[in-house]
Amino acid sequence: MKTIKILERVLVAIPLMLGVAIIVFLFMRLSPGDPVDIMMGREGVVSEGEIEQLRAEFNLDEPLHVQLWLFLKDAVRLDLGYSYVQKQPVTLLIKERLPATIELAFTAMFIALLIAMPIGILSAARQNSVVDRLSMASAFMGISMPGFWLGIILILLFAVRLHWLPVQGRLGVEAQLDTVTGFYVIDSILTGNKVALISSIQHLALPAFTLAAPVAAVVARVIRSSMLETLRTDYVTLARSKGVSETWVILKHALRNALIPTVTVVGLQVGVLLGGNMIIETVFSWPGLGRMVVNAIFNRDFPLVQGSVMVYAFTFVTANLIVDILYTYLNPKITL
Amino acid sequence: MFPKKRQFISVLIILGFLVSACAEATPQATSEPIVIKETVVVTEKEEVEKIITPTSVPGRQTLVVALSDAPVSLDPADHRIRNSETVIRNMFDGLVTRDTVSSVHNELAESFNWIDDTTLEIKLREGVLFHNGTEVTADDVVYTFERIINENMIDYPEPHTSPRKGLIAPLVSIEKTGDYAVVMHFSGPWPVAMQMLVHQQIVPKGYLVEVGTEGFIGQLIGTGPFKFVSAEAGFTEIVMTRFDDYYGGADDLTPVGSACVKDVIFKVIPEASTRVAALLAGEVDIIQMVPEALIPTLEQTPGIQIKSTPGTSPLWMEMNVTKPPFDDVLVRQAMNYAVDKELIIEAIYGGKAVTLPGPLSPYNSYVNKSLQPYPYDPEKALSLLAEAGWSDSNGDGMLDKDGQNFSFTIDTIERQRALAEAVASQFRAIGIDSSVRFWEYSVIKPQLQAGERFAYLDSWGDSAFDPVGHFEAKWHGYIDGSTYGRGNFSLYNNSRVNELIILGETTIDPEERQAIYDEAQQLIYDEVPAVFLILPEVTEAASMRVLNWSPASDGRINLHDVCLEP
Repeated sequence: MKTIKILERVLVAIPLMLGVAIIVFLFMRLSPGDPVDIMMGREGVVSEGEIEQLRAEFNLDEPLHVQLWLFLKDAVRLDLGYSYVQKQPVTLLIKERLPATIELAFTAMFIALLIAMPIGILSAARQNSVVDRLSMASAFMGISMPGFWLGIILILLFAVRLHWLPVQGRLGVEAQLDTVTGFYVIDSILTGNKVALISSIQHLALPAFTLAAPVAAVVARVIRSSMLETLRTDYVTLARSKGVSETWVILKHALRNALIPTVTVVGLQVGVLLGGNMIIETVFSWPGLGRMVVNAIFNRDFPLVQGSVMVYAFTFVTANLIVDILYTYLNPKITL
Repeated sequence: MFPKKRQFISVLIILGFLVSACAEATPQATSEPIVIKETVVVTEKEEVEKIITPTSVPGRQTLVVALSDAPVSLDPADHRIRNSETVIRNMFDGLVTRDTVSSVHNELAESFNWIDDTTLEIKLREGVLFHNGTEVTADDVVYTFERIINENMIDYPEPHTSPRKGLIAPLVSIEKTGDYAVVMHFSGPWPVAMQMLVHQQIVPKGYLVEVGTEGFIGQLIGTGPFKFVSAEAGFTEIVMTRFDDYYGGADDLTPVGSACVKDVIFKVIPEASTRVAALLAGEVDIIQMVPEALIPTLEQTPGIQIKSTPGTSPLWMEMNVTKPPFDDVLVRQAMNYAVDKELIIEAIYGGKAVTLPGPLSPYNSYVNKSLQPYPYDPEKALSLLAEAGWSDSNGDGMLDKDGQNFSFTIDTIERQRALAEAVASQFRAIGIDSSVRFWEYSVIKPQLQAGERFAYLDSWGDSAFDPVGHFEAKWHGYIDGSTYGRGNFSLYNNSRVNELIILGETTIDPEERQAIYDEAQQLIYDEVPAVFLILPEVTEAASMRVLNWSPASDGRINLHDVCLEP
């Protein structure tokens, strides 16, 4: 029964993706700015003939509905066309950039949970204590600090002043790495490359922490409040009255239920981490998808923007689906 | 707006930290401490002595260059972006090259001989090897140019014509006349041929025919001082290694022989403050596009050298001559007198810019030497405006005419923010209500061409040091469907100037050309379709370990000459 439900949800995602594809397609074309003009450079010596030729090459001379049809026809076969500017297939460009973004996003999520879980639980357990107030104050800071600002501060402190961590990039000059999966940390382990492993972890540290800070803040607050709510329920009181130790009450009885809203937030944050890291990727020169999309938007590189947004949409939809499925395991009362 | 704020704040922060970083940088390298004196403003000025050591990573022998934006392709025939060429010219040589300023020198060509005004015979240097060991012959040169001028010669990812065709538009055909000799036929006399040939690099015919464009961009083969090793997707990182059999490059540009450094990496770091931080942390050795605000600080940072050279992108504020108030030449002249360019150069560019004497850069080979920059003279500006009917008749401090205040918007792009705001404030100082609006270039351009706006402030790059490029694009009347006036946002259209521009493009004799361009510049100077602002210098910074390095006007980063101190 559950499998059928999951299948249903997957099928619902298809028209959703189609809708996203059409909206992105139209929005890009409605925005002012001519891709051919941009492509030839600001000062380019370009004749009208060359421009016409380029337009024809990219089907930009066709009416909008024909262009849309051509795009969708290819897209269902996973052919997203090729980048106007980089002259490379979009799927290839995304494939090469995506691992960097995912690696950063998941490391950030890991760091965020590592910080948020104990802080959230502790704050709830010692409500209104100094620990609680301090951690909630830092959570506020975490939410309000803009990523680029925190990023620059961290760079100046840990890279320029202290020389502990690198400023930018994914791997140091001294490390050579044969890529297998595109995830540098995993690749380093797979190939037994210790130098690359250390270097890639060092390079991940600052951008991942910068990206994690606001997420950790949000998650810590959610855990705290749902934990507080759970601690006031009857079954917790019952557990306490049975003489179960407070630690056991919190970890065994309360945490599991408190995690349900947390999972929702974490699921949504995965989407935010994957899609919202353009600025962090730029500040740390992280060669991921976000940086590529920003450039593509400025270049009006339609196929590349369309393809990348489809990937983002896909991750959002998938993250939500996974959250929904996880729910059913955390709380059997909830069905899909 | 987010990015603007980001830039501003990051600059502020970096400034703050740089000062403290300079003051207490931890000694890391093994180099000797340097005692420097610096003045620190606390409450009053006092001399403070501090011990500072440069903090670069010791011993790294790979030279790392930080670019501001990524190349789009490394195929010499398939791009129109300056940074592509910056990287390409380290792996590929052309028939000719340019030094750090404007002179052209023979590279793969041994000699040039103009048979007549439209026929150019080129003798090639013998014994030059491509990175795969084959020798450069006339076949390669013919193929290189045919690949650019013929249609659909680039077969990946879909057949298309080289975007560089327009740069060599007058080239009609090229033929082999010997194993090491070719002849080029042009559609008409083309005085800038040599300057334009600098921008085309020679590719190996045999190899390209064998592997196709896809194979070629996967493993590039050229004749340059460095061999291609690898590139990340989107060219965020490009690795090269020395080509030991390099013929040495232009004979008259020392040093000759193979390159000094062995391994080279070009890395893209788009955020300016991150580029600077990476240089300070010793992760990179040379950085492109140093933000103006950080120049004075970097200049005082030990272990860092900062150099500049005349730029090739002058800045103007063009005024729409077809619409009031700028349809009046008196008003346009007044605008020129109202701007204190010297102050702007000092305050915004840290002295690293020069004033424009007129429509051309002062370094242009055909600049009219009798023209002097419009001086800063607000009194004169006001009297010219009064003559044009603009005065403060109601005593509100703003100029008005027929009951209307003198009010207009300067359109510009984000990159010119500081300059545009400074110019606007100087107009406001004499009672003109001017504000600044920021656009994406591709969005504002059609509106400018349609004459819908009033004033546009921006630069226009042309690295040829010849008037052809700027005159054709900026000062010739717009002709739809051609390249004439494609960047003419003042809509200035003077038939005599147009005539002179066409004449200059096809006149070979330098003295005749000078006379033609002198007249054209004088006319534009008098009719002032623009406020002639400034020409910023190209500023790059490097670690002190980098020897024999200097930035080039055309943006080339020539790593052949550079050495890295151990």
